[in-house]
Amino acid sequence: MQKTKFSAVAATFLVCFVFWVLLDFSFKAEELLAGAIVSLAVALFTARFFIHEDAGWFLNPKRLFSLLRFWCVTFPIELVKANVAMARICFGGCRDIAPGIVKIPTELKSDYGLAALSNSITLTPGTITMEVTEEDGRNWLYVHWIKVRETEPEAAGEAIKGTLEKGLKEVWA
Amino acid sequence: MRIVIDLLIAAGLVFATAGTLGILKMPDTFSRMQAATCISTLGVLLLALGGILYAAVMMHSAASAIKIAVIALMVLVTNPVGSHVIAKGAYSHGIRPETKMDTDDLGRDFDE
Amino acid sequence: MTDLLIFSILFAVLAILCVYRLMKGPTAADRMVAADNADILICCAMILFSLFSGRGVYLDIALICALFGIIDTIAVGRYLDTKGRFRHEDRD
Repeated sequence: MQKTKFSAVAATFLVCFVFWVLLDFSFKAEELLAGAIVSLAVALFTARFFIHEDAGWFLNPKRLFSLLRFWCVTFPIELVKANVAMARICFGGCRDIAPGIVKIPTELKSDYGLAALSNSITLTPGTITMEVTEEDGRNWLYVHWIKVRETEPEAAGEAIKGTLEKGLKEVWA
Repeated sequence: MRIVIDLLIAAGLVFATAGTLGILKMPDTFSRMQAATCISTLGVLLLALGGILYAAVMMHSAASAIKIAVIALMVLVTNPVGSHVIAKGAYSHGIRPETKMDTDDLGRDFDE
Repeated sequence: MTDLLIFSILFAVLAILCVYRLMKGPTAADRMVAADNADILICCAMILFSLFSGRGVYLDIALICALFGIIDTIAVGRYLDTKGRFRHEDRD
């Protein structure tokens, strides 16, 4: 078991406390204090399961700005495009499909980057990440794709995660 | 303002209907999962946007608006985890589509 | 005012359509996907009904629905995964 890092505890505490405030939504001193104590206890015991890398990346304003731009501009555009395509398939009688599982390479190395990329791929309708493996020093994703257009790993990767990976690369190398 | 809110909620309803049709009519398990993602992304997002506008502008209640935003955020964060776990579990359990998939890299690499 | 109620009823009807797949679905994964989405659709209907009636307690219930939807999904998914692994070990 790894040693618990201070930054990991701080990040977990912050997330727990923000959720407490959002759910409780009262700003009396006693309630905030109770929330802080509970969040601290939870963070101390569970931080080592959640975060294995440096959690201080979000103090860097440039990376935070890139992440916000990814969430507010790049990702919604992809989401709407994929949703419209999927709705068209569904209303057209679900005939226009060719499902298959393709293997695509990714340049991202860190846990954060891989988690964000695979969750973004899963969240766009039409693609679901099924497995992440590491071969030859690169990370590979197995993606179930509803309409396989490319079977070559590089070309399929470009079609599935092209803009998503470019946006995430600025945040987590 | 009412018209904008109604349009947002109706657009969410259109995407939710598409997802439900997909769940009912798609031929195999994984394709059904793909169609279901429609419901929990744009369906919930557009509905939550309309709900937030309604709570903030018509009802003047910030607590309701923030609670709706938290619900949409929870659905968006937890849904990919759930569909990834179900897809992986179904595949390793041996569930395959009836018509064989043309490209199946996962089966090629992990079955024998 | 009434339009919110109409939308809420339409979302509930969609959830009932999902229940058809829940009863018929050939495999456990199908049933789980249908149940998860029926949960989300009922959550949507509850948000709209809360806005229609002006009672905040429905929002709390919708939040709990959305939070607990993930737990059963992950439980069933892990169960399917382990079952497959044990069967592979038997075969080897």
